[in-house]
Amino acid sequence: MEHASIGWLLNIGVSMALSIAILALVSLGLAVMFGMMGIINLAHGEFLMCGAYVTLSLTRIDVPLWLAIPLAGLAVGVLGYGVERLLIRFLYGRLADSMLATWGLSLIMAQLTVLAFGPSTQGIPTPLGSLSIDGYSFSRYAFVIIVCAMLLMALVYLMFTRTSYGVMARAAVQNPAMAAAVGINPRKLNALNFAFGAALAGWAGGLLAPMVGVMPSMGEAYIARAFMTVVVGGPGIITGTASASLLLGGIENVVSYLSTPFFGQGALLIVAIIAVRLLPTGISGRWQRQL
Amino acid sequence: MHTHASFFRRPDSSMTPMLSHVTSRLTPIRATLVLAILLIVGSLWMPDFLQSQASNWIIFGLLGVSLVFVWGKAGIFSFGQGAFFGIGGYVYGIASINLVAVTNETVSAVVLATLGAAVAAGLLGYFIFYGKVGDVYVGVVTLASTLVLFTFMSSTASPVYHVGDALLGGYNGMAGIPPLTVGWPGGSPVALTIWQTLAILVALAALVLCVLYTLLARPFGYIVSAIRDNEQRTQLLGYDIRLRKLVVFMIGGAIAGLAGALYAAWGMFISPTVFGLQQAALVVIWVLVGGRASIAGAFFGVVFVEGLSTLLGSGGGNATPVVLGVVLILVVLLLPQGTVPALQSWLRPRTRASSTPVEAPAAEFSGGAVDPLMPPGLSAGSSANSSLRVNGLLKRFGGLTAVHDVSISFAERGVHCLIGPNGAGKSTFFNLLAGRFSPTSGQILFAGRDMTRAEPHTRARAGMGIKLQIASIFPGHSVHENVWLSAYAKLHSRAAAEARATEIIDWLGLGPLRHVLAGELSHGQKQWLEIGMVCATAPGIVLLDEPTAGMTRTETARTAALISSLGRYANVIVVEHDMAFVRQLNVPVTVFHQGSVFASGRLEELQQDERVLNIYLGRHGGQRA
Repeated sequence: MEHASIGWLLNIGVSMALSIAILALVSLGLAVMFGMMGIINLAHGEFLMCGAYVTLSLTRIDVPLWLAIPLAGLAVGVLGYGVERLLIRFLYGRLADSMLATWGLSLIMAQLTVLAFGPSTQGIPTPLGSLSIDGYSFSRYAFVIIVCAMLLMALVYLMFTRTSYGVMARAAVQNPAMAAAVGINPRKLNALNFAFGAALAGWAGGLLAPMVGVMPSMGEAYIARAFMTVVVGGPGIITGTASASLLLGGIENVVSYLSTPFFGQGALLIVAIIAVRLLPTGISGRWQRQL
Repeated sequence: MHTHASFFRRPDSSMTPMLSHVTSRLTPIRATLVLAILLIVGSLWMPDFLQSQASNWIIFGLLGVSLVFVWGKAGIFSFGQGAFFGIGGYVYGIASINLVAVTNETVSAVVLATLGAAVAAGLLGYFIFYGKVGDVYVGVVTLASTLVLFTFMSSTASPVYHVGDALLGGYNGMAGIPPLTVGWPGGSPVALTIWQTLAILVALAALVLCVLYTLLARPFGYIVSAIRDNEQRTQLLGYDIRLRKLVVFMIGGAIAGLAGALYAAWGMFISPTVFGLQQAALVVIWVLVGGRASIAGAFFGVVFVEGLSTLLGSGGGNATPVVLGVVLILVVLLLPQGTVPALQSWLRPRTRASSTPVEAPAAEFSGGAVDPLMPPGLSAGSSANSSLRVNGLLKRFGGLTAVHDVSISFAERGVHCLIGPNGAGKSTFFNLLAGRFSPTSGQILFAGRDMTRAEPHTRARAGMGIKLQIASIFPGHSVHENVWLSAYAKLHSRAAAEARATEIIDWLGLGPLRHVLAGELSHGQKQWLEIGMVCATAPGIVLLDEPTAGMTRTETARTAALISSLGRYANVIVVEHDMAFVRQLNVPVTVFHQGSVFASGRLEELQQDERVLNIYLGRHGGQRA
C-alpha cells in the first residue's frame, strides 16, 4: 500500500482543493446576483459558456490565453449589462418571473451558440504542462484555478468593501428605500450588480475552458451544482460561497474518490438537501455580516 | 364558445362553497368526460401517426397538469416535475422489463412507477416544506435536483448499472421497454394497439382531471388555495401548511410519475434527457402558455407549443429552442396569466367591478355601538381554560436583549393591554407569544400546556387566536370565504362553518360586504375582518398587535367596542400605542420598558405615576450613566 506517501496525500489534497475551487468559481457570479439582488439567474450556466467561447475564439486568433481569459470576463460583463437593461429591469419584485425569463434566455443563448459554433466539443490545450512529485503527476494549471478562485473571492470582497459602488450596493440591499432617499440610484446599481455577476461567470468559463471541453451545453453541467452551492451557502456572498463550496465540493470529492463520480453526484445532492432542511436560509443565513 | 368558457373557468375563482349558484350545468367534470368520450370515439377515424401524436400530447398534458396543480393551485414553485416524470419513466422501465415475463402485463409497473414518483416527491418535499424553505429556494432546489438526476443517470452507461434484466444505459437511455400490456400470470400477454393505447390514455387523463376538480372543490382545495393566497394567515388559523403542501407535492409527483410511466410505455424508451434543463423548461412553458392556474389550459399549452415545435422542426431547422425561449420571455413579460385566462377575461364582460359596492353604507358603522350579544361561537363555558402564563421569558438578538426575564400571567377572562414606548420590547414579547420568534430561554404556558416552541398552527389549535399588526387576510377570497376558512379550521364541517361565518360577519357588521373580495376592503374593514377570523376559530385567548394602527377615530371607537365585547368571553391581550384607544377600553394595563414589565395597573393610576411619565417623556434616558 502506498497510502502514507507524501505524493499520495498531495494528490488527494490537490484534487479536493480543485473540486472546491471549481465549485466556488462557478457559483460566485450566481451568489453575487442572488446576494445583492435576490435574483436567481437561470442563464448563469450560459454566461459561463459564453466566457469559455470568447476565450476559445480569442485564442484562435492568437490572443495569448492569459489575456483572453480576462477579456472574456469583461465581454460577458458587458453582455450582462445589456441583459439587465433589456430584460431583468422589467421583472424586479417578480422573483418567479425573473427566473422564468432568464430560463428563456438560457435556451436562446445555448441554441444560438449551437447555430454559431456547432454542437461539437472544442478544446483549448491545457497550458503549463505538469509536474511530477513522488511519482504523482500534477497539472500546473490546476494550481492556477485554485489560486484564481481565491483571487476572485478577494476581488469580490474588495469590490464590495473598498469601492463606492460596493458600499452603495450593500446599502441598497440592506435598505432600498433609505438608500434611494440618500441619493443612491438603485437602477444603476442593479445593472452594475448584474454585470459584475455576469463578468464573474465569464471569468469562471474562461478559466475552465482549457481544462474541460468547450461546448454549447457546458453550462448545464455546472449550474445544478452552482445552484446547490448558493442555496446551501445562503445570502452571504463570500462566506456563503466559500463555506458551501468547502462542504459540497469536499463531500463530492471524497465520495467520488472512494467510489465513483456517480455516487459523488448523488452524495452532493443528498447533503445539499439535508443542509437545506437543517439551515433553510443557508449556512450564512444566521450570520450577522452579510458578505 | 360558451362550453369552453365554462370549461376553462378557474375553479378557485368561484370556489365559494356558500355561493353554490351553479351558473351552468356544464361543470368542469362533465366537460372533461364529454371531451374525453368525443376524443376516444373521434380518434377511431384518425390515421395511426395522428393517434400516436395525440397520445404523446395527452401524456405531456398530464405532466403539465401536475405542475398546474402544484404551482398554479397551491403556489409551490416546483421545477422538479421533470424529475418525477423521469423517475416514473425509469421505474416503469425497470419494473416492466423484469415483471412482464412473469405477470404478462405492465399495468402493475405503471402503478409502481406512480407510487415511486410519489415517494420521491414525498422525500424531497419533506426536506423542503419541513425545512421551511422559501419560495425561490423551492424552485432552485427542485430544479437542481432534476439536473443532478440528469448527470447521475447519464453516468450509468456501464453494464454494471442494471436492475435485474434492465440496463440503465447511461446517456443512451434504457431501451427495450415493453409497451402497455394487459394479461395475467399464466395467460398470454396482449400489447395494446395504438388506438387502444390512446383510448386508455384519454380515460386516465380524464380520471386524473376529475379527481383534481373534485379535490379542489372540497375543503382541502379551499385550504390549498388559502395557502397560496396567504400562507402565514392559514397557519395562524391552525392549519398545518407543511403537511398540506407535502400532500399537494406528492399528488403532483404521482401525476408526473404516471405521465412518465405512460411516456416510457408509449415510446418504449426512456433517456436522461427527461431530466434535462430543456425538458424542465418545456413543462413550464406549456403551463405558462396555457395559464398557470388552468388545469385544462395545460393541454392547450402542450398542443400549442408542441404543434409549433413540430412545425418549426420540419421547416425552421434547429431554431426550436430559440423560439421556445422567446415564447417563454414574451409570455412572462406580456401575458403573465397565460393565454387561456387572458383570452377568457378578454372575451368575457367584466362583472366584478360593478357588481358590488365596495364601500358599505355609512349608516352601517356610524352607530359605534356593537351588538352587545356575545361573539358567535364563544360562550361563557368555551373559554374556561384560557390562562396564559409566561415564566422568565428572555429573547436576545445578537447582543441586544429585547425581552428580559418577563414573568406575567393572564388568568382571568377580559381584556388586558400591553403598552410601552418604542423599543420597550412589547412587540418582541407579542411575537414570542405568537410563535414568530423562538425565545432564548423561559417558558410559555397556555391552558397548562407548554407552548414555548410550538409551531404557529399548534398554538392556534390549542386555542390561541393571533392577529398580527399588518392585516393578514386572504385578499383573493371573498369576505365570507375568509371567515369560512377560519371557522372550518375549528369546526371541520362545511355546513357548521357556513353558519358560523354568516353569524360572525353579521357580528362584525360587514354583512353587506359578504361577497366582496377581502383585498378590496378598506384598511379598517380588513382589520375587523381579521378580528372576526380570529374569533371564528373560537379561541380561548386572543392576541392582538396594534389593532387600531392607521385607523380613523370612528374606526378606532368601533374596534374598541368589538374588543370589549370579545373580552367578556375570552382572554384578550392587546399590544397598543394609541393611548386614546387604551383609555376607551378602560382595562388593566401593563407597561413594558427596556424589555421588562415596568408597572401594571389602571391607566388613570399609571398616568399619575412619575416613573411611567418619565419613560414616556424620555427623561429616564437622560440620567443614564
